[in-house]
Amino acid sequence: MANKAPLRRAALSAGSLIAFVAVWQLVCALFRVDPWILPSPYRIARAIADDFPRLMNQLGFTLRLALEGVGLGVVFGVAAALLFHLIPGVRAALTPLIIVTQNVPLIALGPLLIVWFGFGLMPKLILLVLVCFFPVAWSMLAGLGQAESQLREYLAMIGASRREVLRRLELPASLPAFFTGLKLTAAYSVSAVIVAEWLGGSDGIGHYLVLKEKGFDTPGVFAAIVCIVALALAFYGAAAGLERLAIRWKPRRTEAKGGDGA
Amino acid sequence: MSEQGKKMLELAGIVKSYARGGRPHPVLAGVSLEVGAGEFVTLIGPSGSGKSTLFRLIGGVERPDAGVIRIGGREATGRRGLISYMPQHASLFPWLSVEANISSALSAVGVGKKEAARQAAEWLRRIGLEGAAKEYPHALSGGMQQRVSFLRALLMPRDVMCLDEPFAALDALTRADMQAWLLGMWEAERRSVLLVTHSIEEAITLSDRIYVLSPAPARVLGELTVPFPRPRRADVWKEPEFVGLKERILSLLQKGAAERHAL
Repeated sequence: MANKAPLRRAALSAGSLIAFVAVWQLVCALFRVDPWILPSPYRIARAIADDFPRLMNQLGFTLRLALEGVGLGVVFGVAAALLFHLIPGVRAALTPLIIVTQNVPLIALGPLLIVWFGFGLMPKLILLVLVCFFPVAWSMLAGLGQAESQLREYLAMIGASRREVLRRLELPASLPAFFTGLKLTAAYSVSAVIVAEWLGGSDGIGHYLVLKEKGFDTPGVFAAIVCIVALALAFYGAAAGLERLAIRWKPRRTEAKGGDGA
Repeated sequence: MSEQGKKMLELAGIVKSYARGGRPHPVLAGVSLEVGAGEFVTLIGPSGSGKSTLFRLIGGVERPDAGVIRIGGREATGRRGLISYMPQHASLFPWLSVEANISSALSAVGVGKKEAARQAAEWLRRIGLEGAAKEYPHALSGGMQQRVSFLRALLMPRDVMCLDEPFAALDALTRADMQAWLLGMWEAERRSVLLVTHSIEEAITLSDRIYVLSPAPARVLGELTVPFPRPRRADVWKEPEFVGLKERILSLLQKGAAERHAL
């Protein structure tokens, strides 16, 4: 019984996706839509198949850059969360500054970073870290502060040191929040990489996208989009998988989730 | 038996008040009590009589406004890390297995990692919980969780165990069961214990001595010695003297409540 609900959910998601693609194909065929306006799913699939080696090659560049960005972002995010949590003044001092960095549009910041740091890897990584560190830092900071007060009181009563409280209570208690942040970062990071690649450079799926767009190769543009979406989904899935590996103590809440549909 | 006379925990003239709405709000008005080595002492009082505050002071989490706390014969006012503690809610760490909960708490206060793990495994076996050692706490019943919580307090290498209404959240049957279990554990280990409870029966069944506290601002209304011999069985409530003791405690509590209303 417990396994039926998730299975049904998966079937529904897959079904609606398949139906969407089918309607799309049908619309293209019935109204004879020009491929350069809206290519049919079949055309897109063929565009992917025709240019497969190059797409995969470009995707590889994007994947590497995204992994580097997420990795650095997570490192900075966790470091910032710990710094803000452990030293109270820092939070008040730096919060406005960080909010500012999150509100400068990427398309404005990108060219500036290129002016300052050249066309190399550096401006792209800075852009990525700026995007990736924030969700991790903010979620984890909230998680660190929300450790259960009963457990906090217990550790105080037995005389545990500040370090022990951090290690045995606050860090493990902040893991669920950390993974919430990581999933957000994983989802954002891919589109941030695309922006970074679109800004400059000669590799990556973002660059491929620009080329196809300039050549009015709409099926090629869609082929790139499919790759980007697939990569983003894979990133999110990997983050969710890591979460499931790391947080095994939580009682499975299949019933609660299954109740949504009822 | 030379240890018998030694005082493991001594509170002398403890005064504490909190500021509430800008005005001082007295909670403890000169509480003095002591727990001898290997003695089981209970504090009983109405809710809101500052028992939890008293524990926080003994634990060194807060400092009293006046008065002295001595643990193991040494001045310990405002000093942490000298007692072991069993809170009202089991307060087990949800991400650690039962066994790791015990060993992690022990190593948090300086017991070697291997030694902590060895003790946790050995004692879980001794109390018949080895089957639950690898389970997460949420898989355990409330009574089981409290057994683990008690074991965690028992194994901590400290002079005094403070038990803060450990069975208050349990249903009546489980509670009676846990009292009998605790009695058996304590008879075998004879640690110095300070227990806080609302339950008069629980106090008489378990303790050597009982302090009755007044409503806040709390002071000691009376001190009773429980005459039943050790080792004691959990069914001492069948003894005729049990009722007499219960009446004396009740009348002390009622006197305390009446005095408060008279103010």
